[in-house]
Amino acid sequence: MTLDQVILFTVDLLALFSVYLIISLGLNLQQGVTGIPNFGLVLAVAGGAYITASLSTRLAIYLLNVHTSLDPIVNNVTVLQLVNPILRSSPWISIGLLILFLIIGGASGALMGLISSAPAIRLREDYLAITLLAFGEILNVVGTGYDPLIGGPAGTSLPDIFGWAGQYRFYWATLIMLLVAVMLFVYIERLVKTPFGRVLKAIRDNENTAMSLGKDITRYRMSSILIGSILCGIAGALWALYSGAVTPSYDRLDYTFLPWLMVLLGGMGSNVGTAVGTLVFVTLDELIDYFKYSFAPFLPFNVVWLNYLLLGLLTIFILIYRPEGIIREKWTSTPAARPQTGEAKPG
Amino acid sequence: MGCVGLLNPVALPTIISWLTYSSLLSMMALGVTLLYRTTKVANFAHASLVTSGAYVAYSIVVVLHPNPYLGVPLAFAVVGGLGLLLFYGVLEPMRRRHSPTVMLMVATLAFDIVLFGVLNILADYLASTYFVPSRNILLSSSDFTFMGQPGIFFVAVGVLSLCSVVLYFLLNFTTLGIALRASMENSSLAQAIGVNVTLMLAISWFAAGGLAGVSGALLPMWTLVNPNTGTVLLASMFCASIVGGLDEIYGAVLGGFLLGFVDVVGTSVLASSIGAWIAFYEPAVPLVVLAATLILAPKGLAGFLSRRRK
Repeated sequence: MTLDQVILFTVDLLALFSVYLIISLGLNLQQGVTGIPNFGLVLAVAGGAYITASLSTRLAIYLLNVHTSLDPIVNNVTVLQLVNPILRSSPWISIGLLILFLIIGGASGALMGLISSAPAIRLREDYLAITLLAFGEILNVVGTGYDPLIGGPAGTSLPDIFGWAGQYRFYWATLIMLLVAVMLFVYIERLVKTPFGRVLKAIRDNENTAMSLGKDITRYRMSSILIGSILCGIAGALWALYSGAVTPSYDRLDYTFLPWLMVLLGGMGSNVGTAVGTLVFVTLDELIDYFKYSFAPFLPFNVVWLNYLLLGLLTIFILIYRPEGIIREKWTSTPAARPQTGEAKPG
Repeated sequence: MGCVGLLNPVALPTIISWLTYSSLLSMMALGVTLLYRTTKVANFAHASLVTSGAYVAYSIVVVLHPNPYLGVPLAFAVVGGLGLLLFYGVLEPMRRRHSPTVMLMVATLAFDIVLFGVLNILADYLASTYFVPSRNILLSSSDFTFMGQPGIFFVAVGVLSLCSVVLYFLLNFTTLGIALRASMENSSLAQAIGVNVTLMLAISWFAAGGLAGVSGALLPMWTLVNPNTGTVLLASMFCASIVGGLDEIYGAVLGGFLLGFVDVVGTSVLASSIGAWIAFYEPAVPLVVLAATLILAPKGLAGFLSRRRK
């Protein structure tokens, strides 16, 4: 690889890392901290991406006072030709819109998380897991069948809110995404250490004990799903804005299974572990992606299927031989319960 | 005459289609419920196990050109073997290390991903070596007809009835069945009185895999099959299983027929009364039924019935 290629590779990797870090943190809060097996992460991610995409062009023409009689979804390309030059000339308006779109993404993710968990939130964890998995890809059905959402199977484009950076668009976009991811990481890391976070862990470790202490466990579980889904929605919106377009094709493998793999690899329950797992996984995946086509000519099948074999086998391997992941969850220290010299250990 | 005379002639294909689809779905759901009862695991790999059945049967048709129904027993054996592989290769080592149930479910999801990759490789291989279509497979043209109806209807209903009867006698009138039921009800107690619980679990994984294989092998006689067909059907399988009630094995059949009815008949009635666009949203049907069941009767139909009985 030349230096230019290395830089491009790194920037690409960081962009992917930022998005996946946000999703993995959302999963870790739900499964690792609270014990809610969310097998339907893809729904919140797709919710953030599709609803943001659907509203972004409409909001942009309204807020930027662009007068057009064209439909923002049907005549998407033409309308964006009116919107994008305005965004290109004014970075601050673009950043303002970005923040607005991220709020919309987070809210859409939250909505999806609440709707899909509502039927089974009070039931046992396996019922909840099945329900969340089943609901996972419902938005693809809506996105394909209902054109006003994101224009049907062909998808739609979003206003280019990073256009002001010109040829450095992807560098700036990556930097901003990384910034958002780091901010959310700090937020979740602090949240887990608050009394609220400790109640979540108590629910995970023993529901009955938490209940006997007067905690409304359904409300805490819903809050956990809500925050986790907001993160997934923000990640979906960011990825849609970064890549500039969405199609109704967000699937279970990419946005449910991979985050699970990353969190398992890093260590369930630990946010640092989640970040390490995400970084290690994304790097491995990008390297495989980069090199796999060099041996493609020798294989009698499409080389993309190798990914499935490797990912699945890696997960099975981790689950059997190192279920705690790279980094173990740390004991939360509180004024009331400081670990004594080496005696107190997490149960 | 009376009953048949009431039937709208247009409705007959819809009913045939309902019974065929429901029978296939029930076989899949039967496996899901069986595994849930024995291993306490929601087996997400059921998706690709079903598709494997279809591709095993299709590979035989491609290579040896027999009657497509001859691939069904082979699919039973091979996919049953895949069930054993998943159990002994992945779940049993994890169970020995006391992995939590959720992690076992993640493992079945991982196994599903591996199998999905293998199926796609097989499909590519079939296409490049035998020059046959290996995606959007449909074998209904080589199906027989009986009394003007497609053979798959009789075969699907027949196989489901046979499986149910065999399962019923196995569970109720044999020592093996009693041991199986004992390990479902209370595995540590069964272990204590000398039942080899691991063997019982292995048998149920083979049986559930075999059922998935058979239903998968019959699928291309009725509808288009792709490597992701099982994945698409997974929500329906779990829905049928939960609607019927995870605590009762035969609930799966009940759930399969109810879901099949809502899916096939309901969608066709709605499509003719509201508009054809509603057919787009057919994949949402099992989800609506699932949500309604979980809210109104979380123990499923069978749970509802047995509660009444007590």
